[in-house]
Amino acid sequence: MEMALLTSAVGSYPKPDYLVRARNAYAQGKLELQELRKLERQATEYWVRVQERVGLDVLVHGEQERGDMVAYFSGEPGGVVIEGMRLGGLVRSYGNRYYHKPIIEGKLRWPGPMTVDMWRFTQSLTDRPVKGMLTGPYTMVEWSFNEYYPTREDAVMDMALVIREEVKALVAAGCRYIQIDEPAIHTRPEDDFAMAVEAFRRVVEGIDCEFHTHICYGPIEKIYPGMLELPVKQIHLAFKNTGFQYLKLLEEHPWPADKVLGVGVTDVHNHKIESVEEVVEGLRLVLKLLPPHQVWALPDCGLKTRTPEEAEGKLRVMVEAVRQVRRELGLD
Amino acid sequence: MLTTVVGHYPKIPNRPRPARLRQAIARYERGEITREELARIEDEVTLEVIQEQVEAGIDIISDGQIRWEDDQTYIARRLSGFEINGLVRYLDTNTYFRQPVVVGDVRYQGPFLVQDWRFAQDHSPRPVKAILTGPITLARLSQDEHYRHHERLVMALAEALAPEVQALAQAGAPLVQVNEPLVLWHPEDVPLLRRALETMLAGVTCETALYTWFGSIERVYPQLLELPVDTIGVDLVSQPRNWQVLGQHPFPASKKLGAGIVDGRNTRMEPVEEIVAAVRHLSRIVPPDRLYLNPSCGLEYLPREVAQAKLRRLAEGAAAARQQLGVEA
Repeated sequence: MEMALLTSAVGSYPKPDYLVRARNAYAQGKLELQELRKLERQATEYWVRVQERVGLDVLVHGEQERGDMVAYFSGEPGGVVIEGMRLGGLVRSYGNRYYHKPIIEGKLRWPGPMTVDMWRFTQSLTDRPVKGMLTGPYTMVEWSFNEYYPTREDAVMDMALVIREEVKALVAAGCRYIQIDEPAIHTRPEDDFAMAVEAFRRVVEGIDCEFHTHICYGPIEKIYPGMLELPVKQIHLAFKNTGFQYLKLLEEHPWPADKVLGVGVTDVHNHKIESVEEVVEGLRLVLKLLPPHQVWALPDCGLKTRTPEEAEGKLRVMVEAVRQVRRELGLD
Repeated sequence: MLTTVVGHYPKIPNRPRPARLRQAIARYERGEITREELARIEDEVTLEVIQEQVEAGIDIISDGQIRWEDDQTYIARRLSGFEINGLVRYLDTNTYFRQPVVVGDVRYQGPFLVQDWRFAQDHSPRPVKAILTGPITLARLSQDEHYRHHERLVMALAEALAPEVQALAQAGAPLVQVNEPLVLWHPEDVPLLRRALETMLAGVTCETALYTWFGSIERVYPQLLELPVDTIGVDLVSQPRNWQVLGQHPFPASKKLGAGIVDGRNTRMEPVEEIVAAVRHLSRIVPPDRLYLNPSCGLEYLPREVAQAKLRRLAEGAAAARQQLGVEA
């Protein structure tokens, strides 16, 4: 099989009800950590089997052990804690939605492997490669309070060293693909973008592994083509939710030959499962601009807000659409 | 030299205190309680946050904008001509608001802020300022599918909001504050803002203020000082360079400065000495009797307990500064 038009996922899958209940019970001190870990692994195995039977090429572990992509590393119940961080009080994000915003209160240091056990467990279940999943230094800092560092840049650069240690530990465990998400990277495109790219470089520089990044909803036009400087093999963007508008950017400034475009082909914020034909059409639009070996198909973002049935349905449609396009192109 | 707030206050406390409003909204959305029952909880939470501001020692408080889902839709839903669309990020924060869409003529449909203000003032031992989001910010953060003309939309908003502002003044609000953060991103809007304010504030005799936050004032200063309001609010935390810009121009005797000197977006507590130093610096630009001290922005970016601690610290810093500079409150 040619390494073209591979399929993967962005990160999270929905948690089964028994795990949601167990996480609540653990947070209230009514469940042992050991029992929570057992259920997290049970749910992880479920998602590995789903991905295998649907036919994904590169799997994710599904983030069953994580609540929030930043708070998981800052002490959310059942999570881990980067030294120098702690979980703060509730802050409103929109409407009636609140989250515990982490606080950087001291010098940031790597506390030892944070994600390696779960990656290793997931990889032991399958012959297909499993991506390592981390949150990038800019997003980690931007979505936290900073009580310690004089400037945001100081905090981001130290955070980069923390994430770098985790990357090294994942690679040492045998991980071949690591996705480092930076959904906040376009928060201050003029002031901070160059700094965020430099921090990312410090995370991955000189480490032998295939790096991907995922940047979601936001003013992508303000960081394109600048974002092509990110030292990664693949950049993934949410195409479906934005009606494939990003293709206009690629028409104005061509996508470089040495990078893969991760294309979000199904909308994760919509209950409706797209038709195979709809996903095929999206892929055809992208393939007018890029050769198949530079394109991977993924959902727009993590699927954790869907029901398990919707999540599997969206993956299935995506894989079927890719198979159809591969046949049309004579790739199989 | 009085202390005040800029806008919203966190709606729910942390454990062990119950998140009553969050629970009430969830129950209302599930159809388990009526709009009236939800309104009663909103009133009760408003009383709580009034008390927290008073206890913290703030001189001029707000109602905490507890009923506001965000700075835009609370107003847009109460004027004609708007629909409410999907979530968009609010400036450079990690918070989101539903984007108003202008689909018809924007018109006043009757008072709403007046009741809110009267309720708050009736239950507050301190003066309560009335706060609203201004026409430039509302227009810039909405999607205009009707006028398709920025100036016409802004002036329609100004005309629609004018009766509300006048009703607030007539009801006895000691101060009406118009929030216009977006003018910092659109300096070309300053002349239009001037016309909009002239329309909105025509005949208003109470004190007025225009507050900005997050951005640099460099491109709109000193023009901001020519706007027909008594106080100009400037965020001196997010953009430390705003200090220099302020210092580069004489501050007119006819104006007051609302100085945002306590960070409304970070949990780090400013030491009292830091606040005193800021006031000392400010007093070289603006005489203390024409100075309001306040957080850099609304406080909903902080957990509730931290928000109150920030206000307490602001009041302590102001008291220490008054003593050291020998000025009265």
